[in-house]
Amino acid sequence: MDDRELIERVRAGEATAERALYDRHVDRVYRLAYRMTGEDELAREFTQDTFIRAFDRVEQFRGEAALGTWILSIANTVVLNGLRKIKRFRRREVELEEAATVGSQGRRAEPDLKDRLKWAIDALPAKYRIVFLMHDVEGYTHDEIGASLGMPSGTSKAQLSRARARLRDSLAEFAGEWAS
Amino acid sequence: MTDEKFERFVHDAAREYHRPPEVPREEMWHAIRGARTKTRADRRAFRPAWIYWAAGVAAALVLGIGIGRVTGSDGEPAVASGAAPVSEGTGVAFELATTQHLGQVELFLADFRSSTQAGRSMDEVSEPAHGLLATTRILLDSPIAGDGQRRTLLEDIELVLMQIAQVSGAAPKEELDLIDQSLEQRSVLFRLHSATAVESAGTDLQGAL
Repeated sequence: MDDRELIERVRAGEATAERALYDRHVDRVYRLAYRMTGEDELAREFTQDTFIRAFDRVEQFRGEAALGTWILSIANTVVLNGLRKIKRFRRREVELEEAATVGSQGRRAEPDLKDRLKWAIDALPAKYRIVFLMHDVEGYTHDEIGASLGMPSGTSKAQLSRARARLRDSLAEFAGEWAS
Repeated sequence: MTDEKFERFVHDAAREYHRPPEVPREEMWHAIRGARTKTRADRRAFRPAWIYWAAGVAAALVLGIGIGRVTGSDGEPAVASGAAPVSEGTGVAFELATTQHLGQVELFLADFRSSTQAGRSMDEVSEPAHGLLATTRILLDSPIAGDGQRRTLLEDIELVLMQIAQVSGAAPKEELDLIDQSLEQRSVLFRLHSATAVESAGTDLQGAL
């Protein structure tokens, strides 16, 4: 069943079509939500919210973009807005930022390179982090990222480049390790 | 170190960043189904207050007509027709019902307009439009409709409500535009607003006296 037929059947209220749509796209949505939040509970909440919105707004899907891209754009909106609203996450970000700052003052804590990379990714602004995770980790193309975030693919490339530059700066003191 | 080496390192190492566990498909699907079922039930349970008011208005009109039939001004049964004389009690009941009804139609049409402008679904508009249409027709058949501005207003309202009552779900834009044109060309909202303002003042004064 192609996307167009699937959408028509969802619009007609067929429960099996709704389930088919969910099965087809849930993995990508959940994975992205988890990559962004790092918490199963939040990833579930955002994934559920994404599909609830998608089913509610299915009449608005015009087929201009692929169905997967449309769902991904809802997911990105849900995740980015959700993260903004969650104070708990903000507090955690601040703590991580502080930890990263302390770490850069010296290597007393001797963090593992991978830990530092994790902190550095956490410290990226959300708009860079999502592009970095979608492209370098989840393997989306710049066209897909641009369409799902409502920006030209060139902007996606530029944001990825900035994200990598920031990571490189954050990990400068470990240069010998990744170069080896 | 080269860009290439750095990118390879990041590419490999970042895969461990927030590595997702197995996707809890069934649990999430269950939650989605539950939330959607609850939302539908809430939507059914929640009806804007004007639906109940409209039902109340209709009931008041039926009562008013009943009173009119039983009690004429001279104690003789009156004929319930547009040309029949109206007793004072019946007249007040009709006046109150009309004022309330026009107010509810105004609210409904304003809400309808903002919904169409926001591109919201038209699923919820047909049923209340039918209810308001029925009340409008009762008023048009009542002695209070008269032959003047009020009758013209009620006839225009009837036309617009008939159009809205036929709308459902994702109504074509042309259909919505047509309704919008009817509202615009006949200045329905403006006239409703004026009528309810004047009639409310009259009713308040009557209550104070």
